[in-house]
Amino acid sequence: MSIQHQRASSNFQLSRRSWGHVGSFRAMASPCELLIANEDENITRAMMELATCEAARIEQKFSRFIKDNPLWKINHAAGKASPIDAETASLLQFARQCYQLSEGRFDISAGPLMALWRFDGSQFPKASDIERARALVDFSKVSFNEHQLQFPAGMSLDFGGIAKEYAVDRVAYLLAEQWPAISVLVNFGGDIACPVSKAADAPPWQVGIENPQRLDSAAALLEIRQGALATSGDTRRFIEKNGQRFGHIIDPRTGYPIVKAPRSVTVLAPNCVMAGMLATMAMLEGAQAEAFLSEQEVEFKCFR
Amino acid sequence: MQLKNPSNIAKALALASCALVGQSAQVQASEEKLDDWKVDAAIMYYGEEDRVQAVEAIGNVQKAFGDESLLDMKLVVDSLTGASASGAVAQAETQTFTRPSGDGQYQTAPGETPLDDTFHDTRVQASANWAETLSPVWKTNVGVNGSKEFDYFSMGLNAGIERSFNKDNTTLVLSGAYTFDTIDPVGGKPVAFSAMAVRGDYNTEEEYRTAFDLTRVEGTEDKKTMDMMLSITQVLSRRWVFQANYGLSSISGYMTDPYKILSQVDDTGTSQGYLYENRPDSRLKHSFYMMTKGALDAGVVDFSYRYSTDDWDLNSHTLETHYRYYFSGRFYGQVHLRYYQQQAANFYRPFLMADEPLPEYASADYRIGDMSSYTLGLKFGQRLSGGHEMSYRLEYYQQNPENNGTELVGQLQDQDLFPAVKAIMAQVSYSF
Repeated sequence: MSIQHQRASSNFQLSRRSWGHVGSFRAMASPCELLIANEDENITRAMMELATCEAARIEQKFSRFIKDNPLWKINHAAGKASPIDAETASLLQFARQCYQLSEGRFDISAGPLMALWRFDGSQFPKASDIERARALVDFSKVSFNEHQLQFPAGMSLDFGGIAKEYAVDRVAYLLAEQWPAISVLVNFGGDIACPVSKAADAPPWQVGIENPQRLDSAAALLEIRQGALATSGDTRRFIEKNGQRFGHIIDPRTGYPIVKAPRSVTVLAPNCVMAGMLATMAMLEGAQAEAFLSEQEVEFKCFR
Repeated sequence: MQLKNPSNIAKALALASCALVGQSAQVQASEEKLDDWKVDAAIMYYGEEDRVQAVEAIGNVQKAFGDESLLDMKLVVDSLTGASASGAVAQAETQTFTRPSGDGQYQTAPGETPLDDTFHDTRVQASANWAETLSPVWKTNVGVNGSKEFDYFSMGLNAGIERSFNKDNTTLVLSGAYTFDTIDPVGGKPVAFSAMAVRGDYNTEEEYRTAFDLTRVEGTEDKKTMDMMLSITQVLSRRWVFQANYGLSSISGYMTDPYKILSQVDDTGTSQGYLYENRPDSRLKHSFYMMTKGALDAGVVDFSYRYSTDDWDLNSHTLETHYRYYFSGRFYGQVHLRYYQQQAANFYRPFLMADEPLPEYASADYRIGDMSSYTLGLKFGQRLSGGHEMSYRLEYYQQNPENNGTELVGQLQDQDLFPAVKAIMAQVSYSF
């Protein structure tokens, strides 16, 4: 664990720009990038160290793909109570609020269903498998307090829908705490936070939003001085069957992907987890995604 | 999908996400809200080489009442021991002095600076200050303070008013203070320029006592101080502020140090006797101060200059800087440099000539003589969980007294009349 941590922490690239530095690394299966409005290489290196360490720490702790990490132990407790720390408890608390606000459609216990939907563009799961998996999905059966967590054997938790946004916010928060005067744009695979406002006389950060039809080329340009944005969409992971495109957003109540969901939803909000959750909830609204977001009085961009 | 009260989701998520993301900040902020008390405790050691040692305990409590009112209370208890320079000059012979109380004597070895080693005291200082925000642009504060040591009692009142202009970029402060001190010297107040009675010059204890009592006056003395200060603070840019102050101080009453003496020497520089010093009973001081402070990417720096002058002709210049560097969000180091230079008061005399008439006022206290001093300091601060902070400070302080141009006669040329005073200061503070 410590070897991986160290390797991850020093494994970044830093390059100079006229307005500061760009640093990049990979974490959470995504390209991660920091745009730093500062010319001092020692400072930007220290910022990159902090960002890579924190991203690696969160990935190590909450990825469901790492054997023997804290989440793996929770998911292999076989119905017994697992001890949890304060950070895990607050993520669970947030997940519970999202579960309640979405009336059960956002559910971090949906892992067994997600595992059936392997979005490689070919397979479509059997209905009987979906029914069996649905029986193991119910966040209301997860009980926890500040110190421990317990759920029935066979169930599992997956923080995939929150962890990356959470990592973006944590990195943004730690950077702002330590370097409160340096504007930074933290971008982990399209989930973005800019904690320190850019100087009034400097141009705002420009963020391109991908066009789902033409990947890797910016279709819309958003300007951001401070705040966060997150994107939810099926741009890269989907199954097509009978001409119907099934995105990676699964409705745990039916066991099937949401239909008529936008291809992608981008939401601006004060922080990244909020933006990400609003985008996810909008996707879960399917055809009503735009109406839902309009009612939330947030800035957003939907591609269909 | 049908959501209940869909427009509330964004608000609910905003709250929930803040609780998650700003975790530590949120926890701290809410603790401060629930508990508006802020407590600082510190213990300080000050030690001069072979001279005064002091240990000081400082407790400071702040309590906010809403956003408008702040009560600040401070208690300092210090204990001083050790010796301080009496004002007499070093000699080639052993010198014998009477203690200030008249009971007993002390001797100073040849070549040594005479130090009165009876110096020990405990001092208690307390102050309370109330600050009130009257409107977005007006603020005011009032305070009281008092201090008590064995031979000294002081009480003071202060008040100030602050007005901000130009969207808070400019602040003007006018403040005033009045202090009343009572001095009750050990062994009584010495008669100005009376000669120290030494037991060895008398045949009997009774004769000595009679002579000693003639150098003393019964009763207490007092001193009144009025201070006024006008201060302007200007925000220069997003990172820099500038401050300028003008201070006026008028003091009247007993300012003589009852424990300080002057050597009276003949033309070979040999002591003929010791006279108790005498200082004017009024003093008018002006001080001018300028400071600029800037926020750097990972630190804070300030520079200041002070010029002070008074009608005793004691002029001083102070240059000072602090540089703080944040190694991380929780740990900083700070460097402190200070240089001070003063020109002697017009009645400062390192010694008196026995065959010359007495001046109206005279003092051999090196602290009002020509002097320069510097301070080198290091401080480290560490923020702990829950908003607590721990800091450590270590400073080296050196005073270099200088001759004010007095011609040294006879054996005085062989003595070090202006020895440097070196001190170490160490402090540990805890805020919670």
